[in-house]
Amino acid sequence: MSNKLLRDDIIKQVKEVFDSQLKNTVEILFFGSKDDCEHCEDTRQLVEEVSNISDKLHLSSYDLQDDAEIAQQYHVTMAPGLVLAANDGNQIVDYGIRYAGIPSGYEFSSLIQDLVLVSSRDSGLSQETRNALAELKQPVHLHVFVTPT
Amino acid sequence: MVEAMEFPELSDRHNVSGVPQTTINDGAGTVVGAYPEDQLLQEIKNALK
Repeated sequence: MSNKLLRDDIIKQVKEVFDSQLKNTVEILFFGSKDDCEHCEDTRQLVEEVSNISDKLHLSSYDLQDDAEIAQQYHVTMAPGLVLAANDGNQIVDYGIRYAGIPSGYEFSSLIQDLVLVSSRDSGLSQETRNALAELKQPVHLHVFVTPT
Repeated sequence: MVEAMEFPELSDRHNVSGVPQTTINDGAGTVVGAYPEDQLLQEIKNALK
């Protein structure tokens, strides 16, 4: 049995954030791979510990190879991979948020913020930005490269 | 979010030198560092031209 990844004081802080800010249910889809994935186990354990902090977070775990159809449905090709989506009871609504690699260091707080964002069901963007994005005529794929700090 | 050290090939393909780096549509646009919302929007518009 592995040790807990999150320290108790971190869990406490995250719980305070979740208790005050999480509104609607969020679905975390974790994608691992048995082939050559150094951080899969840690990432899976990390998101499990995070989702245990609140009833409004639900985790489902998949394998890139064993669950290839679901991976394809969510366009996930890299492991460890996360999809942060809205769980509206009857359906999962995909907002296009993806993580590739373990969300450690600074990215851990990005993960927490993103969970709150998805839970709010609102992008928080300005009206101007929303208007501009509504006029997009082609898909936009943003890759944000980070390193663990 | 892509953790660059775990995915070196992808990072190389996107010419990642400094982080954070945002690429738009596989290199049609690139922004290095942090930036405000309206700047990202402008970069997206430029990348789609």
